[in-house]
Amino acid sequence: MATNRWNLPDLGIGVGLRTVHFGHILAKRPKVDWFEVLSENFMDTGGRPMYVLDQVAEAYPVALHGVSLGIGNTDPLDREYLRKLKDLAHRTRAHWVSDHLCWTGVAGRNVHDLLPMPYTEEALRHTVERVRAVSDRLERPLVLENPSSYVEFAASTMPEWEFLARLAEAADCGLLLDVNNVYVSSFNHGFDPDLYVDAIPSDRVVQYHLAGHSNKGTHIVDTHSDHAVAEVWELYRRAWRRTGPVATLYEWDEDIPDFDVVHREALKARALQGEAVTTAASIHGA
Amino acid sequence: MALEVPLPSLQRWMQSVVVHPGAAGEALESEAAQAEVPASRLAEVILPSRTLTPVERVGIYHGMYLLRMEEALAGDYGALKHFLGDDAFFELVRGYVQAHPSQSYTLNRLGDHLPEYLCTAPGVPRREFCHDLARLELAVSQAFDAEETPCLGEAEIAAVAPGDWERGRLQPVAAFRLLSFRYPVNGYLDSVRNEDHDHHPRAKARDTWTAVYRRDYSVWRHDLTRPAHDLLADLAAGRPLGEAVSAALGRGGRRAPTQDELFRWFREWVSGGVFRSVEVPDAG
Repeated sequence: MATNRWNLPDLGIGVGLRTVHFGHILAKRPKVDWFEVLSENFMDTGGRPMYVLDQVAEAYPVALHGVSLGIGNTDPLDREYLRKLKDLAHRTRAHWVSDHLCWTGVAGRNVHDLLPMPYTEEALRHTVERVRAVSDRLERPLVLENPSSYVEFAASTMPEWEFLARLAEAADCGLLLDVNNVYVSSFNHGFDPDLYVDAIPSDRVVQYHLAGHSNKGTHIVDTHSDHAVAEVWELYRRAWRRTGPVATLYEWDEDIPDFDVVHREALKARALQGEAVTTAASIHGA
Repeated sequence: MALEVPLPSLQRWMQSVVVHPGAAGEALESEAAQAEVPASRLAEVILPSRTLTPVERVGIYHGMYLLRMEEALAGDYGALKHFLGDDAFFELVRGYVQAHPSQSYTLNRLGDHLPEYLCTAPGVPRREFCHDLARLELAVSQAFDAEETPCLGEAEIAAVAPGDWERGRLQPVAAFRLLSFRYPVNGYLDSVRNEDHDHHPRAKARDTWTAVYRRDYSVWRHDLTRPAHDLLADLAAGRPLGEAVSAALGRGGRRAPTQDELFRWFREWVSGGVFRSVEVPDAG
């Protein structure tokens, strides 16, 4: 059942495709609903990674997830990158293509980080224009993820959730709601994460991300290195109540354990989805 | 009160701070950063949090940058890192990404200039050894990512008339690299990967030759003799088989291969998947 405005499917509960699991996936063909593929890892390789991806895309639904689009960059869009991204999406029959609300570098450089945007009218106009241009080139709506961030700009005139909602509306793009990122940023910036998820336009959410993080005491770093904490699961349940069934994916990128451990962590989402539906029914029935 | 900084200027400022090789405080006071935002007005650009100052908050991005670059380069240059040690490798990375910052959407090719950088980088011990080792590790990563091309098969070989082989030109697969070294670095790479290494090998300079290629999605490294290297180099350069073999036989002395060696090499190279095709130009 699709609940978003583009009828993009609820792919179920998936896992990020990672190199350390290639052998296990090819040999065991685990029962996973879908895989998310890091676009840049496959755009310039003709070796084993591409071979594995072809096998995975043949056997499982996939979506592409990038880190280098640089939708907020003030450099011109990289046409070569977009051409390769479109080709990869076609080759893998990806259900959608996502990246992050961030910038990644200027003056021809790539810092390879998800750098934060100031939430201003100027930045909003700039990003809307680029999202439209990218969606046109990809011939599909771009899906954007809320990032984790560690700084707040004094110039920002609106909270991140308002920026994201206005961007999605004006540029007609989809949203990938990373509830761990919401939690990380809420800790780092001192806002209420419930306000964030309640403000996201639910019919634009086509995917969820879940992950673990590292709490440094003074701040939280989005490391994707652990199990998700209870507060993140609670946020997920809250968000799910609003959106209904949406494809959900667990990310684990540091100290990656065996595939089955990651998959089991992802599957915790299923129980919460049931609870969310029950809660929603009781609220509506009350 | 917020300082009005246009978006392009804000991005130039933050990037210059994040990629600066020194500490975050130095980065904020650098010429490049202050061209966009005076260090004294930082608090008008970045807000403090309950627990961190603006400098500390920007410092999170600054600190993660070099760690990320180091992680990417260590993935491709694991043996070089092992040889230099963690601290020296980190300092090498610090200088390298200043000289050759990433200009690509992928980190896969971040290390493409590291061998040449090693020729002039400050403080590199046993520079020629490191240069050779880095060239080998780069060739391995290039072979890993190269376009997949089919190998020369039995049918293609059988289709060449015996009399045509002399004019035939063999084309290597895309994932093929041929290297010559002043040090036995392929043996060192083996020892690091097999974890039976000496941390500071005293390997003496000795000319070695190595072919790197990919077959069935695995990268192989084979040490060659000088005559085998010279012949393979001629073939990979497109020299007709007859000419290349004549040249090999004519090199004389210890460099001249025997007939048996020639047959063995061809068998190994063809069965190993070094070649993708044989082209026979029209006679005349």
